Amino acid sequence: MTQERVQERITQLGRQAALALGLPLVLLAAWWFFSSGSSNFFFPPLATIVRTFADVWFSPRIVNDVVPSLVRLFIGFAAALALGLALGIPIGASRTVRNVVEPALEFLRAIPPPVLVPIFILLVGIENAMKVLVIISGCVWPILLNAVAGVRALDEVLESVVRSYRIRGWARLWHFVIPGAGPQIFAGMRQALSIGIILMVISEMFAASNGLGFSLVQFQRSFAIPEMWTGIVLLGLIGIALAFGFRLLENWLLGWYYGLRRSQRGGA
Amino acid sequence: MPRLSIHRLAIAAGLVTLAAASGERAYAADKITVGVIPITDVAPLYLGKEKGFFAKQDLDVEMQLAQGGAELIAPVVSGQREFGFSNLSSILIAQTRGLELVAVAPGASSTGEQGRDFGAIIAPGDSPVQNAKDLEGKTVAVNNLNNIGDSSVKASVRKAGGDGAKVKFVELAFPDMPAALANKRVEAAWIVEPFLTLSRSQGAKVVAWNLVDMAPNLMIAVYFTSKKYADEHADIVKRFKAAMTESLAYADTHTDEIRQIVPTYTRITKELIGKLTLPRWPTEYGRASAQITADLALQDGLVTKKPDLDALLK
Amino acid sequence: MDAAQRTSSTRAGWAGAGPLVQGFCGLIGIAALLEAAPRVGLVSPLYFPPLSTLIAVLAAEIQHGLFWTALGFTLQSWALGLGISVLAGTAIGIAVGSSSIVLATTRSTIEFLRPIPSVALIPLVTLLFGTTLRSNLVLVVYAAFWQVLIQVLYGVQDVDPVARETARSYRFGRWAQIRYVTWPTTLPYLMTGVRLAAAVALILTITAELVIGTPGLGKEIFVAQTSGAYAVMYAYVIVTGIIGVAVNVLARALERLAMPWHPSLRADVPA
Repeated sequence: MTQERVQERITQLGRQAALALGLPLVLLAAWWFFSSGSSNFFFPPLATIVRTFADVWFSPRIVNDVVPSLVRLFIGFAAALALGLALGIPIGASRTVRNVVEPALEFLRAIPPPVLVPIFILLVGIENAMKVLVIISGCVWPILLNAVAGVRALDEVLESVVRSYRIRGWARLWHFVIPGAGPQIFAGMRQALSIGIILMVISEMFAASNGLGFSLVQFQRSFAIPEMWTGIVLLGLIGIALAFGFRLLENWLLGWYYGLRRSQRGGA
Repeated sequence: MPRLSIHRLAIAAGLVTLAAASGERAYAADKITVGVIPITDVAPLYLGKEKGFFAKQDLDVEMQLAQGGAELIAPVVSGQREFGFSNLSSILIAQTRGLELVAVAPGASSTGEQGRDFGAIIAPGDSPVQNAKDLEGKTVAVNNLNNIGDSSVKASVRKAGGDGAKVKFVELAFPDMPAALANKRVEAAWIVEPFLTLSRSQGAKVVAWNLVDMAPNLMIAVYFTSKKYADEHADIVKRFKAAMTESLAYADTHTDEIRQIVPTYTRITKELIGKLTLPRWPTEYGRASAQITADLALQDGLVTKKPDLDALLK
Repeated sequence: MDAAQRTSSTRAGWAGAGPLVQGFCGLIGIAALLEAAPRVGLVSPLYFPPLSTLIAVLAAEIQHGLFWTALGFTLQSWALGLGISVLAGTAIGIAVGSSSIVLATTRSTIEFLRPIPSVALIPLVTLLFGTTLRSNLVLVVYAAFWQVLIQVLYGVQDVDPVARETARSYRFGRWAQIRYVTWPTTLPYLMTGVRLAAAVALILTITAELVIGTPGLGKEIFVAQTSGAYAVMYAYVIVTGIIGVAVNVLARALERLAMPWHPSLRADVPA
């Protein structure tokens, strides 16, 4: 890379960082300012929260609580992805299957997680399996629905071409269906990630003995309010980190799509 | 409910007459809300309202349901609700954290009888666990960690000569406990009515009566308000305490009426309520048992500093 | 209607039945599962009664005013929460998405706030609003809003630059641009967002009622649960599921009304 290109890149990164951090810093400053004199028990000053953050989280808690939570999240997410695609693609492909299955799926989906937990406890007990199941039960829906929508919206002309070239089975799936529905599936995965983090917390509110959500609830119950706020902040930070990682993945896998759109639109 | 409307009509008529007669002050009842959990423990409140004890004190009581703990205490602290019902341990924890709460009346107490209480430690019928000492190394389910559940279980274990620290606690809601126990997901559980009766009818056996072991006539819950409200509305608090005391006294001696009122605010059927063991409802604070609860809270690490019982139980 | 549907009605067996019948068959499948599972012992019938028991309990419940009042509260909460989320999400989504600067600036904040579960905010919410409709709404809107916002952002970003340039060269004003260029592209994404948000709003309404104790179906579930009345509890859960199905049917109908031109709603690509 030439000197010029390097400088250009650095400026670009700098600008991106400024944009990413700008608003949060402003909001944080506002929060700091408005809460500094707070004597409200449930809304402590931001300064207190920051001070408590290190005490709470830079400790064995990372290994004992945060890691197990994240591991369960990843397993649940991966399973939801597999299930969502395995079900979504055939459902999206066949109108009959969709008509049959959709009301049943909507029925199951409407059952709130706090009610599913007792059912899951009946089925798989109170250990990790239950928590992963709760995460799957929520994450699968955006992936499933978006996979269905993506498959339904596949380009008709392209489909005719594929058919006239007699491309069937796995080749068709790999070269036509998945790339075609890919962007929509990724939109679903992005939704599922946020939902997954939320469910990770909810699943640990019941029958748990470790985890980030568990810690949050224990802080709530024992009125350790600054600690509770640090937990909330940590959840947000994890959300950002995972979203950022996801975007990197998306750019890598869907680079062809974005590039294609860009070139189709004349480089805009 | 015919009795309710007749009583209310009579009292309303009386009040209207009084108001018309006096002419100077309007005897409008003060509206207050009490946060409660829909369990048998709060039956005296419902019965007292039905009997008119609260109307007698010019109090228009509305009960609001909550799950417990933070959802009962937080609204009282913020002034959203005037009164609440909560287990003593949660109140002590809140107090040591800086929330200024004041008890108004005792809530419910253990029967104090081994063999007949509204809560106990149970295990599956075929379990090798015979007494509290056998709980060492076993998984015991309690409804909230670092609360009355594990405190009292540890007290039972200690009383049986074991080491409370060796018990593994896991958190599980009471409604989920009977199934978890039957499916051997947990090895024992601290459970209360109506699930105690449900579980025992499925073959579970009682390992220990932990509420009795913990302290004699353990006062397990209180009605409370915030110190701020108590200072600003001392008269209302006094009247609430009077109505509550009357309700508790009546409840303790008219358990048949209690058994009739419980199905009206819960889903416990008339058949089931007949089989349940009810708590006791003394009208005085169980000061000694509260002290034991506070001491154990400090010892077991529920709180990091000594709770101030004098400030709480004025 | 269209070619695909005409063909389907001449096909034999399952494929020949109309969508309503097909959907019904799917639900029957679930019903069979719910009836069989407790009976064969997959789950204990004491703690999860078979469907026939639940239906009997439900039939008894419907006859009481309590049921209908609770249903009314839940639907009210849901509708209000969904409405606010959709309006706010669409307005903010279009406003933010149309400007790449604003989008880049707010992206990190959005990603920070999104994963915070509304349930973690419950003590704070009850503190401020108590056991009222407003607590419900805060929780519902906080969760459902993101669904709409993210989808609208995706939609606005997907606008064809050529179309945008064309509109500009024809001197379309801001409003006209939004109406003729941004809106049609965003609409399919928005519809998916509304569908997702409707489901999330329902779940959060019931959850809020369950945990806070606000009047509604969730509160009935909570009281039944605390009383060990498992049959009543799951009877109400079934009602929740049925509402979920109804919500989806409504959302689909809305989709068809709003976007009859979209490929996914015209013919289907048999894959």
